[in-house]
Amino acid sequence: MSEAESNNPTPPLVRIRGLRFRRGSRWIFDGVDLDIPRGKVTAIMGPSGTGKTTLLKLIGGQLRPDEGSIEVDGENVHALKTPELYRLRMRMGMLFQSGALLTDISVFDNVAFPLREHTRLTESMIRKLVLLKLEAVGLRGARDLMPSELSGGMARRVALARAIALDPMMIMYDEPFTGQDPISMGALVQLIRMLNDAARISSVVVSHDVAETLRIADQVYVISDGKVVESGSPAQLRESGGDWTRQFIQGLPDGPVPFHYPAAPLREDILEVSS
Amino acid sequence: MIGHLAKLGGWGLQALTRLGRAHLLLLPMMRGLLDILRRPRLLLDQVFSVGVLTILIIAVAGLFVGMVLGLQGYYILSRFGGETALGLMVAASLVRELGPVLTALLFAGRAGSALTAEIGLMKATEQLSGLEMMAVNPEHRVLAPRFFAGFLSVPLLAALFSMLGVIGGWMVGGGMLGVDQGAFWNGMQNGIDFREDVINGVIKSVVFGFVCTWIAIFQGYDCVPTSEGVSRATTRTVVHSSLAVLGLDFVLTALMFS
Repeated sequence: MSEAESNNPTPPLVRIRGLRFRRGSRWIFDGVDLDIPRGKVTAIMGPSGTGKTTLLKLIGGQLRPDEGSIEVDGENVHALKTPELYRLRMRMGMLFQSGALLTDISVFDNVAFPLREHTRLTESMIRKLVLLKLEAVGLRGARDLMPSELSGGMARRVALARAIALDPMMIMYDEPFTGQDPISMGALVQLIRMLNDAARISSVVVSHDVAETLRIADQVYVISDGKVVESGSPAQLRESGGDWTRQFIQGLPDGPVPFHYPAAPLREDILEVSS
Repeated sequence: MIGHLAKLGGWGLQALTRLGRAHLLLLPMMRGLLDILRRPRLLLDQVFSVGVLTILIIAVAGLFVGMVLGLQGYYILSRFGGETALGLMVAASLVRELGPVLTALLFAGRAGSALTAEIGLMKATEQLSGLEMMAVNPEHRVLAPRFFAGFLSVPLLAALFSMLGVIGGWMVGGGMLGVDQGAFWNGMQNGIDFREDVINGVIKSVVFGFVCTWIAIFQGYDCVPTSEGVSRATTRTVVHSSLAVLGLDFVLTALMFS
């Protein structure tokens, strides 16, 4: 039993053990152990290309690990048959980086989509639920707009309303703050925390936006080179003595992650061109 | 030399892998028919976007092809005093060959490329992943309605093409060149065999509809999800569909009329 489990008797919502996953010959994850507790905001951080989005796809069963197991709410995701996996996904929401709204239908229909697909509610009930979900993200007035008429921040809020349409037990946020202006970012930060606390949803936020993520996270995992290099509360990470974590949290241009891409010495390169 | 052979082998394996993936895609699309039967609206929406919106180009092309056939046919037949067979010549050419083939080629250019681009962009903008995470199978919800819509639309469009082609041939032959109208229609009625000509033409258009839509959907679903990937997939759809139609036309013609 890990230290986290012995301190917290409630089993974690997501339990990852010995995860190994590769693309081609490159190992994206090489022995990752990770617990995502219930009812908390858990942040998974790391620089671009470390496989944060891949981790969400593995948790959601869209990708299959080479080794190891991923359990969500006690169910081994990759041992499930397709109908069972789909039933589990109905209890998981995911906010994609792009929003992933269906572009040929309106905001209202996008939010109503999972309700129409998975429930037998009447249209009048669906209307009420959709308006409530849109109200929660502050976009009830935008229900008749098409996705192409929304700003990036609005699109993500609509996608968030859609993600909570079926009242899931957890929401996975894939880079929710990337490319947002300060106002949209503030709104998203507040929404993630509010939804987590008010609706008692467990949240997994994958991000490399340090300040915003540390503001709302209860627990943080830092990933690098296919492994969890550090974990703890935001305060513990800020005070971390680890070189890698310090470079990432403080945004230092050079350190364990070098500024320069590996190359021959500059002198050699220049002389080669001159000769 | 070995390097070239290895490259060639690599291409061959890649092509076979893609072909295998394309065949594997057919199964879930067929299963999607159950969803369509439960919600026919999904199919009707796609029939509109894939079939109805292609009517204009099919109608205009059919009319002009028929007019050209009328003109060319008249000049050739009049050398032998056989102008009265113009109706038969126009109708047989259209129903047996030009209707199904040209409709499929135009369909691949207009609707097939649009299908590939739409599905490819849905993939690039994570809409298909989004559906999966909402516990909705994109192969049933997105691909299957488009597949069956294309499959149903092509034979209907081919029938429209042939009908307007015959009218075009009649306008030129009967209207402009003075071919006897009774002989024009009578020759067509007597010379065209329903089973031999019409049914075989319909079979061809069904096969072409199946192949063109399948290629278009597979290319979109299998594309690299970038702007360049979608662009390449769209080009491949038109090229592969056109070659498949022309190749299959030869095979089917040989089987049907030999």
